[in-house]
Amino acid sequence: MSQHSSRRDTVPLTPYAFLAPALIITGLVVLVPALRTFWMSLQDLILYRPDAARFIGLGNVIRAFGDEVFWISLRQSLLWIVLSVGLQFLLGFATALLLNQSFWWRSAARALIVIPWALPSVIIGLMWTWMYDFNLGVLNDMLMRLGLIARPVAWLADPDLAFYCVVLTLVWQGFPFFAVTILAGLQSIPADQLEAAEIDGATRWQRLRHVTIPGLADIIMTALLLRIIWVANSLDVILLMTGGGPGYATHTLPLYAFQKAYSAMEYGYGAALAVILTALLMVVVMGYVRRSSRGIAT
Amino acid sequence: MTNTLQDAGMSRRKATKVIAGAVLGAGLARPAIAQAITVRWWYHFDNPQHTPAELIAKFEKENPGIKVQAESIPWGGGNDYATRMFAAVIANNAPDCALVKISNQARLLEMRALHPIDDMVRGWSARGDIADDVWRVNRGADGKQYYLPIQYVVLYLYYRADLLQQAGLQPPKTFDDFLAAAKATTKGDVYGFGMRGGGGGHDHWGSFVLGAGANFDKGGMVSPQALAANRWFVNLHREHKVFPPSAPTDGFRQIVDGFKAGRTAMTIHHIGSANEMVQALGDRVSAVPVPRSPQGTGWTSFGDESNAIFASSRNKEAAFRWIAFLSTAENNVAFNKLTGQLTITTSGARSWDLHPQRFVDATSQSLPIATVLPDRPQTPDFTRTVWPTNMQRALLGQIAPDEMMQTIEKHFNG
Repeated sequence: MSQHSSRRDTVPLTPYAFLAPALIITGLVVLVPALRTFWMSLQDLILYRPDAARFIGLGNVIRAFGDEVFWISLRQSLLWIVLSVGLQFLLGFATALLLNQSFWWRSAARALIVIPWALPSVIIGLMWTWMYDFNLGVLNDMLMRLGLIARPVAWLADPDLAFYCVVLTLVWQGFPFFAVTILAGLQSIPADQLEAAEIDGATRWQRLRHVTIPGLADIIMTALLLRIIWVANSLDVILLMTGGGPGYATHTLPLYAFQKAYSAMEYGYGAALAVILTALLMVVVMGYVRRSSRGIAT
Repeated sequence: MTNTLQDAGMSRRKATKVIAGAVLGAGLARPAIAQAITVRWWYHFDNPQHTPAELIAKFEKENPGIKVQAESIPWGGGNDYATRMFAAVIANNAPDCALVKISNQARLLEMRALHPIDDMVRGWSARGDIADDVWRVNRGADGKQYYLPIQYVVLYLYYRADLLQQAGLQPPKTFDDFLAAAKATTKGDVYGFGMRGGGGGHDHWGSFVLGAGANFDKGGMVSPQALAANRWFVNLHREHKVFPPSAPTDGFRQIVDGFKAGRTAMTIHHIGSANEMVQALGDRVSAVPVPRSPQGTGWTSFGDESNAIFASSRNKEAAFRWIAFLSTAENNVAFNKLTGQLTITTSGARSWDLHPQRFVDATSQSLPIATVLPDRPQTPDFTRTVWPTNMQRALLGQIAPDEMMQTIEKHFNG
C-alpha cells in the first residue's frame, strides 16, 4: 500500500490536467464521429428507412469492390492527387524561388500570391466554372481572339478535358500553400552556405541541387504529405464545377461517397466508401505523424 | 393553441406544476400576456434580398400569441435543402413547418415525419380558393393530405419569335415541328435548343421521352416506345447537333444565360425566368406549351411547392394557422411576388400582374399535360444523380441510349 501511494505521489498529474480539455474535445468532435462512421459502414443504413437498418459486417466493402464506379473513382482519385499536388508543388516551388529574389515590389508580390489560397472554395469553383463557360467564358473568348481556336470549346462538358480543367483550378487554388511554405524554408537556409558554394564555383543549378533542395527537404516532405491529405479529401471544387460529370469523368472517391450519402441517402455504403478512403490515407497520415513526432522524440 | 400542453406530452403532474408556478409567478409577470408560441418555419427564396418579414409582421399582428421564426435554408438546387431537412428530422430537430416538394413526400412519409392536416384543412374557410386538381396532385400516397399548396409553376417552351419567323416557322406544337425548328435555327454560334444536361435537366428529357409514353411503372422505361423516344432525344444531340456542345453539363444558369445571350433559339423553363428573359430580349421571346408526341401525348413538369407540418411539432395548430395564412388570397400573392412563381389561389390569379400575360397563358395552357415525377423514395436520387450521370454518358456516346433507360428502369423497379 505504502509503495502504491508513494508511486502515485510521484506521478505528475498536472500535464494530464492541462491536456484533458483538448483530449476531451478532440474525442468528442473527432473520435466519436469517426467511430460512428465506422459503425455505420458495417450496416445497411438508408437514411429515410432508419428502422430497416441492419448489420451486414463487411458487406458494404465487398459491394464496393464489385462496383464499377468505385474503381473509376479510386483510379481518378489517385490521378487527381498526383496531378494536383505535383503541379501545385512545382508551381509553388518556382514561385517561392522567384519571391526569394530581390525586386522592388517583392512585398506586394508575396501578399498577392496568397489570394487564391485565401479565397473560399465556393468562390473559386464558381469563378472558374464561368471562366470555362461555353457561351460566355473568358477562356474561349481569349483563345478565339488569339486565333488559337476557331470555335468555343465546351471545357467542362468534354469528358477528355473536364478532369484536367478541374485539376488546373485546384492547382491555381493550392500552389500558394507550397509557395509560402517553401519561401519560409528558403529564408532559413544560411546565406553563408550558398556563398561558400558560389565561391567554390558552383553554378546556379548546382547551388539549387546541392544546397537549397537538401536544406528544404524536411519542409517539402511535410508540405507534400499535408497537401496530399487535404487534396485527397477535397470534393468542394469538383462538386461545384461538374458534380462529378460529365458521366463519371470527374468522379473521385470522396465525391462518390458524398453522392451515395447525400443523394441516394445510403449512409451505410457512403460511410464504407469514406472508411476505405480513410484506410488508404492512413499510409500518408502515418508518414506525416512519424515525421512530425521525430522532432519531439529527439 | 389549446392543445399545447397535450402536444408537449406533459404529464398531469407536470402540467399542474407549470400552472401552479404560473399562478405563483403571476404577481411578478406582466398582466394578460400569455407565453407566446413560436412557430419555426423553413423556407428558401431564390433572391436572397427578399424577406418574408412583412408577411410575418402581418400574421403576428393578426395572431397575437404566435411568433414566427423564419429560417432561410440554402436551396442548392433542392439537394441542400432536402438533405438538411432529412438530417433535421433524424436529429429530432425539425422545424414546426417548412416549404416542401412532392418529390420528397414519399421519403418524409417513410420517415413518419409528417402530420396529416385533413381535419385542419376541412375547417379552413379558404380551402375552396385552391383548385381541386391541385389538392389532388399534392395528396399523399396513403390518401391523406399532408401538403398545403402555396405556389406552382409549369415548365413550357421558350422560343425566339424572331428567329422562327425568319425561318418561316410557327412555334412548335409537335416533336416533328420541334425538330424542324431546332434544325432551322442551328446556325453558326446559335443552337436550336438549350438543353439542360446537368442537375434538374430531367424536365427537358421528360417532355420528349415521358411525353412519348415512357413511364416509371415496371417495364415503363424499356418499352419499345420508351426506348425509341429516348433514342430520338439523344439523337437530337448526337446526330442532329441541335444542342450546344456544353449541353451535357449545362445547368439552370447556363441555359437561361445562353438563351438570353442569343446562343440558343429555344429552351424549357418556367415563368420564374420570364422577366429576366423579357428584360434581355423584349418581344423577341415568347412561350408555348412543350411540344407533343405524334400520338398527341405530352408531359411537362408541374413545379409544386407546399408547406407541411412535421409530426414532431409541438405547435401544430399554430403552425397550420401560419401556413394557411400564406396560402390565403392576397397573402399568397405577396408571397409569390417574393419567389417569382405563380399564386396557388384562384382569386389571386385574377389580378396577377407580376409577369407578361403570354407567359401566364403558356403556363395555364400547359396544365393539361403537367404532372409530377412519381412520389417514390427513389425519385430524389433519380433527379440528382441517376438521370444526370446516365444522360450525360448517353449524350457523349459513352453508353447506348437503351442502356440509359435500362439503368433508370433498374433504379425504380429493380
